[in-house]
Amino acid sequence: MKSIMKTVGIVAAGALLLSGCAAGTPQTEETAGGDTAARGPLLTIGQLGDLASWDPSQAHVGHALVPYQLVYDTLILREPDGELSPMLATEWNYNDDRTVLTVDLRTDVSFSDGEPFDAEAVVANLEHFKAGNGRQAVQLTQFESATAVDEDTVEINLAQPDPAMEYYLSQAAGLMASPAAIEAGTLETDPIGTGPYLYDKANSVRDSQSLFAAKEDYWNPELQKFDEVELRILVDVSARVNAIISGQVDWTTLEAKSADQAEDAGLEIIPDYQVDWTGMTFLDRDGVINPALADERVRQAINYAVDRDTLLEELQLGRGTATSQVFGPDSGAFVDDLEEYYTYDPEKAKELMDEAGYEDGFELKLPVIPAFATQITALAQQLGEIGITVTQETVPPANYVQDVVQKKFEAFNFNLFQGEAWVAINQIISPTATFNPFGTTAPELEELISVVQQGGEDSEAAAQDVNRYVTENAWFLPLYRIDQISVFNPEKVTVVAQTQSAMPSIYNFSPAE
Amino acid sequence: MLTFTLRRLASGLGLLVVISMLTYTLLFFSSTAIARNILGEQATPEQIALKEAELGLDQPLPVRYLGWATAALRGDLGESWFNGEPVTQTILNRLPVTLVLMIVSIVLVALIATALGVLAAVRRGRVDQTVQVGAVVGDAIPGFVLALVLVTIFAVNLGWFPAVSTIRPGAGPEAWIVSLSLPVIAIVLNYVTSSAQQIRSAVIKELDKDYVRTLRSRGLGEREIVLKNVLRSAAPAGLTVLSLQFIGLLGGVIILEQIFAIAGIGPLFITATTVGDIPVVMGLTIVAVVVVIIVNLLVDVAQGALNPKVRLS
Repeated sequence: MKSIMKTVGIVAAGALLLSGCAAGTPQTEETAGGDTAARGPLLTIGQLGDLASWDPSQAHVGHALVPYQLVYDTLILREPDGELSPMLATEWNYNDDRTVLTVDLRTDVSFSDGEPFDAEAVVANLEHFKAGNGRQAVQLTQFESATAVDEDTVEINLAQPDPAMEYYLSQAAGLMASPAAIEAGTLETDPIGTGPYLYDKANSVRDSQSLFAAKEDYWNPELQKFDEVELRILVDVSARVNAIISGQVDWTTLEAKSADQAEDAGLEIIPDYQVDWTGMTFLDRDGVINPALADERVRQAINYAVDRDTLLEELQLGRGTATSQVFGPDSGAFVDDLEEYYTYDPEKAKELMDEAGYEDGFELKLPVIPAFATQITALAQQLGEIGITVTQETVPPANYVQDVVQKKFEAFNFNLFQGEAWVAINQIISPTATFNPFGTTAPELEELISVVQQGGEDSEAAAQDVNRYVTENAWFLPLYRIDQISVFNPEKVTVVAQTQSAMPSIYNFSPAE
Repeated sequence: MLTFTLRRLASGLGLLVVISMLTYTLLFFSSTAIARNILGEQATPEQIALKEAELGLDQPLPVRYLGWATAALRGDLGESWFNGEPVTQTILNRLPVTLVLMIVSIVLVALIATALGVLAAVRRGRVDQTVQVGAVVGDAIPGFVLALVLVTIFAVNLGWFPAVSTIRPGAGPEAWIVSLSLPVIAIVLNYVTSSAQQIRSAVIKELDKDYVRTLRSRGLGEREIVLKNVLRSAAPAGLTVLSLQFIGLLGGVIILEQIFAIAGIGPLFITATTVGDIPVVMGLTIVAVVVVIIVNLLVDVAQGALNPKVRLS
């Protein structure tokens, strides 16, 4: 008997000892040090999920765009503050009616398979993106054709002006892959671009980690700041918290509830970094399903009945900014005095309900998915104060957006991206927008939208008027802009926010001083 | 023995068919927005219709199931709808780490639980009370809570182990050992006491039997009686609980792998189920059922070897 116990004990102790030793050795190799300019040895990024495909026609936004930047360059570079700078394109100009964009290209760049980067390559990529029908296919909605004028000049022809076209060429639609690889159809698993790093397929495992090595002779060494980059896929938020606190990743995205813990551990959170607003979108503004929502006084009453500051404090631990508008400060459509347009005023809310003929309240039916369950419960409580009964209907998360688009809900709660004015208008306001399934509109609003689309001088003022219109008519119930909990280890890296993107661009990461 | 094994195998295959049908039916009715999930929120109705036709989502349930089942019979589990990777390949890449985690854990549980159980039964007193209380506590604390506590102490604060797995292609055994230590410890702490409890009861019951008294009267040493005779008779109870625990682990490791970011089948199960990647979910279900069948079969065979009476029934 004793001998059994002894054996077990020795085995267990041995295992602990062995593992203890191995864990003591550092996980990253020592750096060669100082051989390449100011390049850091290894950047490890804790990602929320893996890409489904390395084909740039399938690229998305934020966390699902940045990995592509490792391998692919874009035609235009979007600086951290949103300014557009030359990258593979050196210059670009519109014709007078803004339907032809002429782009001049660099002549000293080639793809990692040896193919030259030229006008034909750009044409092939734009056509491939359009045909690829990916998650951001909307970026080339107005794209009709592209022609190679000469080796380093491309003309992009648009069906109608698109004020966001240059922006799109700095995003998914601007990623350039080798035409030979497009032809071969191998990009899904073998990305070939002109970008700063090469994908190390042999050392990558889908949904676990992807490894990249700096490409020698990259045309722009300033954008290439590390010898190696590793993407660790950490779906679970507690895994991300543990990984960054224990130093296994240099940067990751957390949630408000783990922000304090990260700061206490000496990590830094990128300040003033807001990308999404959260709250409710009234979908049925013409009253097809719920007649009460057709009355703007009812929608305004709901906006007055909600105590945004308390919700922000309780749901987001104060990490955000209460707001009454759906456009962000950098969108060009932001209006200062709309920020507190709706203040917490239950009395005024009740008056508006009375005026609208709903003094006895009404029933508001909201779909519920786990991510918004607490928000909806909190709202239900506050709306109950003015007689509105919120009925909660649990729906499968995978069907949520689909059901919105199919007009199954009168309203729904979501976090929506605060991008460029034109991008946001097409996402949530225009009659054909994804999140305007009932196609609510008004002549004056459509007039404003068409001015925004023309681009140029009047565009920004018109966008602000669009904002004013939807805020005053209470198309939405914005609660607050959410702080991105974008955390980095200041001993290893420096990271700068990328405006209107949930994840900093790969160029915004540099080795710590 | 052969007919016994064959009969068990046949019933296992029946189970496989029934479960695959049930799973397929459930998936059919629960995931209606697959094409939109693949294409994104801005896809047009035409794009969605095209994608649905491509995936066969417009076909009725029996047609779709039969299509899947005939391909599966040929060993072709299809490709992921979301990333185009062959399902068999994806699962084969991920299964080893999950199986290593499960098998190492269950072997340790078996060894430690047997030692604790026998000790508690023979010594009683303080040791026994500890095992009894431990059984209740170990059962009451969920494995993932234990795991989070262990990570916080031993990985985040003390830095003895990595907080998330460092296993990668070509990684040496030390990466496997350090990465799997904490999850294995979490599983062992969670499972060992209830097995020990079962073994303790079985051993106590055996110790009261007449044959033990006879053996003692013949002058055999207590240690020899316990290890050679009592343990053999008490083993079936232990084996049953261990096999149940192993099967339970199939579910338990899903969450543990998520916490430790281990590239096993757990995270794959979660992602595939959330988005409605039916080929992957079906592939994983088949693997899980096969593991259950094999474990049950092995346990049945082992029971038969230990106790000839089982073979007759």
